[in-house]
Amino acid sequence: MKIILIAVVVLAVLATGFIVAAGPEPHIVIPGEVVWKVGFMPITSTLMASWLAMAVLILGTFAMTRGMKLIPSGAQNFIESVIEFLYGQVEEIAGEKNARRFFPVVGTFFLFILVANWIALTPIFKSIGWTKDYGHEIFHEIQLKAEEGKPFDKDKHFLAWQMKDAGGVGLAQTGAGTFKFKIHSGEEPSVALDRYIIALAEFYTDFKPSVDAAHGEGEPEKADVEAAFAALQADPKAPKFIAADDHGHGGEADGHLGVSSHALGATFTALDFPGDKIALVYPFFRAAFSELNNTLALAIFAFLVIEFWGFQSLGFGYLGKFFINPLKNPILTFVGILELLSEFIRIISFAFRLFGNIFAGGVLLLILTFLVPFIAPLGIYGLEMFVGLIQAIVFSLLLLVFAVGAVEHHGDEEHHDSHDDGHHPGGGHADVHHLEPGAVQAH
Amino acid sequence: MKSWLVPAASLLGAGWFFATAVILGVVVGRWADDRTGLEPTFTLVGIVVGLAVALIGGYRMLQPLMSRLGDEPPE
Repeated sequence: MKIILIAVVVLAVLATGFIVAAGPEPHIVIPGEVVWKVGFMPITSTLMASWLAMAVLILGTFAMTRGMKLIPSGAQNFIESVIEFLYGQVEEIAGEKNARRFFPVVGTFFLFILVANWIALTPIFKSIGWTKDYGHEIFHEIQLKAEEGKPFDKDKHFLAWQMKDAGGVGLAQTGAGTFKFKIHSGEEPSVALDRYIIALAEFYTDFKPSVDAAHGEGEPEKADVEAAFAALQADPKAPKFIAADDHGHGGEADGHLGVSSHALGATFTALDFPGDKIALVYPFFRAAFSELNNTLALAIFAFLVIEFWGFQSLGFGYLGKFFINPLKNPILTFVGILELLSEFIRIISFAFRLFGNIFAGGVLLLILTFLVPFIAPLGIYGLEMFVGLIQAIVFSLLLLVFAVGAVEHHGDEEHHDSHDDGHHPGGGHADVHHLEPGAVQAH
Repeated sequence: MKSWLVPAASLLGAGWFFATAVILGVVVGRWADDRTGLEPTFTLVGIVVGLAVALIGGYRMLQPLMSRLGDEPPE
């Protein structure tokens, strides 16, 4: 009886979700959305998210460690136990001496990735942002090409949502329609404009063309374009194309020439949206590591710091790991070159692993929220928290393992028994195999 | 905690490393073929080098793990 009741409630909530909270069709972009441009540098939503993660870490640490006490309590206790736990893990893998050197970097990587992944699951992400006005954007594209007097040279896809204008703020309504338009390569601007008129009329009014030219290829019927234009004019809330004659400037407005319609023969200089706009949200924040630039930055830094530790421990002897005299052992020479290659390949596998996991998680959440607005995404949110933690662990642990590998003396595995202390001019630096109890007990 | 954490992370890392090494070898090989017109020479070379890097690099990544697992006394 109880189970049936729960099932009914869950189904009711799911059904309500479909009716009242169905989101518009998700729009998936791989590069981060440009939020601002400072000089030549674009500030993307993912960069903003990294800054937010840094702010959370810095302010959080500052707040939790103000008025530190010898016997910690509350927040200080929490942060100390986190750091102690991490340090313990690092120490177990790297040994006491190396842990002191590796921990600041490894711990920072772990905390930064973890916080960046977890704050990306909060509601401010992917929801608040600029609205990008695609209604005007498409018209502007056609206008620019008409000015050049050339056909389009590549395909262009546009996807946008119907948005209410609420006092200058665009709002995507639940169950809002999705407007799709495609410009084909090799298409004349005048034909593209005709198809755009039909697409807008189909979207805003009851108009139905005799041939589906708005979304297909080829020229639309002349009668269809005329009927579509008339339908747009008749509806007060539908967008209005403004003809050149209305301005009386000989077809010039805002410094742009008008674009003439192939079927109508009229020239239009502007497009006006008196009712709903067709636009898209360009969010201020998107998961920091759902962009390859950010993960690549981490990967390159990880690579550099590993090489730095290698040189710091072994001096130029570090290069001896990769460049082996072919007269001594030609096979090892080949192996050395491959190892050198694998050092660089790590950059890419570091970058793509994190990017792939976080980006895929974001897409999964977006699509599932679109399909089943309530309840179902909760499970995926839980999964994403787990993935965020796992990725932070994997990134920092691999960095640590590679770092331990880099500071080990060349050929350590083969020389465990020989006890050649005097051999290494590195002296006091990081004699790793002495710190490993397993290595000493081996003989 | 550590006993399963390190092997798990290393295995996750090694999988990606294998894939990246092989794919990168093929991509670079194809690019070189395009530039030189010597198809399919460099693609084959790329596959071989990618596989070799995957094998040797992967072995190096997993070796400490394998020896550690071997050292553990049977329960």
